[in-house]
Amino acid sequence: MRKMAIAMTVALGVTASGCVETRQFADMQFTPPQGDYKLLVLRPNVSVSELTAGGMAQPRADWTEQARTNITNALRAQQAGRGGKMLVAERRVQVPGVDADTIAEIERLNYVVDQSIVLHKYYGMSLPTKRGRGLDYTLGEEAVELGRKTGYDYMLFLHAEDNRASTGRTALQVIGIAGCAIGFCAPSGGANQLAYASLVDLKSGDVVWFNVVQTGSQLPGVTFGDIRSPEGAALMVERLLGRMKPGRAVRKEKAR
Amino acid sequence: MNGLGTSFLSRRALLASGGAATAALATGVASARIPPSSMQALIGPGYRPTEVDEQGLWQQVERVEEEIAGSNLLIKAPGIEDYLRQLIGKVGGPAARDMRIYLVRVPEFNAMMFPTGFTVFFSGLLLRMRNEAQLAGVIAHESAHFLRRHMIRQWRDMKRKSDLFAVGMMALGLGGAGAGVYTGDIARLAQLGTILTLLRYSRTLEAESDAMGARLLAEQGYPPLEMADTWQQLIGELDLSAKYRRKPRERDLSLFSTHPAPESRMKDLRATARELTVPGRIYDNGRARYLQAIAPIRQMLLDDQVKLNDPGATQYIINTLAQDGWNGLLRFYEGENWRLRNRAGDDLRAAQSYAVAVAYPDAPPDAWRWHGLSLIKQGRRPEGRAALTRYLGLQPNAPDAPFIRQMII
Repeated sequence: MRKMAIAMTVALGVTASGCVETRQFADMQFTPPQGDYKLLVLRPNVSVSELTAGGMAQPRADWTEQARTNITNALRAQQAGRGGKMLVAERRVQVPGVDADTIAEIERLNYVVDQSIVLHKYYGMSLPTKRGRGLDYTLGEEAVELGRKTGYDYMLFLHAEDNRASTGRTALQVIGIAGCAIGFCAPSGGANQLAYASLVDLKSGDVVWFNVVQTGSQLPGVTFGDIRSPEGAALMVERLLGRMKPGRAVRKEKAR
Repeated sequence: MNGLGTSFLSRRALLASGGAATAALATGVASARIPPSSMQALIGPGYRPTEVDEQGLWQQVERVEEEIAGSNLLIKAPGIEDYLRQLIGKVGGPAARDMRIYLVRVPEFNAMMFPTGFTVFFSGLLLRMRNEAQLAGVIAHESAHFLRRHMIRQWRDMKRKSDLFAVGMMALGLGGAGAGVYTGDIARLAQLGTILTLLRYSRTLEAESDAMGARLLAEQGYPPLEMADTWQQLIGELDLSAKYRRKPRERDLSLFSTHPAPESRMKDLRATARELTVPGRIYDNGRARYLQAIAPIRQMLLDDQVKLNDPGATQYIINTLAQDGWNGLLRFYEGENWRLRNRAGDDLRAAQSYAVAVAYPDAPPDAWRWHGLSLIKQGRRPEGRAALTRYLGLQPNAPDAPFIRQMII
């Protein structure tokens, strides 16, 4: 309970000031993929919306298309730099060696496992049985089977959303803060981003690494990269996947 | 999405925010019936969005359709998909060829249309329809949501109102701060008012769909009155379900529901049907075609319903379907409903249903099983044995066959 209170306080502080926040978890034995590995990226879910004055997120097809291309390109450049070969499957039928239904099953399975990870690792509902064991989740035999059939070593799931503040929204933010001068402070959220990624080792079926990136600010005009531009997309991919930390057991081993 | 079912906004949360009555007076509740002739399609065949907000909405929903099309809840019984496709082609108006229909195995009365023109039907809806006209009526209603561009219209309305609300709140706060008064209560009331007008807009859209759907139905030679009967059936079911649970039917405050209350909806539909019915024209409700089409899944539909543990609703549905004639399948599930409710005397009621069920040629093998077991329980062993022998004859590889066999030695 006290931990929750601390988390809440921290969260409030973050939204009021605005910042970039990342938090990753890894399997105890995790070593970031390096060298000659094959990575399968399943249907990256990228979307860009415009925040209306009233705070509704208006999805934008054109912006989303741009961002999708940018994120894929950034991902490709990053993975090639590490020596990996990558396939980005935009559709389920694009994965060689297995049918679309199998991919759908894996996606649904991964979705519920990811939900568990978010609930127990990020929302503070920590499980006593998993304490001190790093990221201890698996997709099991189905994922191993997929690796065998497709020949891929790792599978990556990626979600990235970017909400851009419209002019109306920014104006409201400005007024909300200016109002403090006469005793009516109503700061409201502007541009913000949420991205997360999970990496599955197809040799063991385990979810070996998970990361969440959140950016946002209540100060009008402040943004942390814009994924509609190649630079912004590269920044997000870097924040999300750039600094993969090895698992605790591996780090201990190295320290010795 | 525009569904048939109830609102997803928590009514309690709304009430808790206070001032409901005042706001209601301000917004007004009454809504007049929409004449079906005024409901023309706003889109033609091959429609694609041209404005950015609608394009954004369409793109988001594409992924949703991919998810539904690959869902393992989809019912893939032979012929059913073709049948539904053929129906939407009939009553889908000018965009009939662009629409897609998916049937998912969810034992509830619901259907929904998505902005890109695909609709999802729950299997519980098929269970409740007495004939093709009733099903076509719901399909026509959902099609009208697409033809009248309801989703984007609702979205734009929400956007406009939330913008106005945000600006209004800011002005109110600043004004209040300047004048030195606390405006929190007025702000809360205004928030409720905004939500109420959103819901009212949605009810208007539902009424539009009812009017246009009834017209599409009548144009294809189905009796338009069947649409009102669908609502009559829903009211009866909700009432009996509540009575069995010894609770009053949830009287949706019509003010807080996104859909018109079933009663007022039914009244409007009856008036619309009278207006649309051409004297002397012959209307066909297509009952025989409907029964033939859903035959491969009808037992599954009944089975799913019985297992919901809602005996009032189940009894109402079975009795409603039986108005067109009893058969072995319906009698068997009537018995199952009593047996699973398991109150005092229910075993005897179930036994009677099973006994009647096996007199019909279409009685499922399980009817013979339960008929036999009921007879043995009543001490009528020889007759019970005969019934169980019949069961094994019909289903020699049943999972419990060895067990039943040793019972009748």
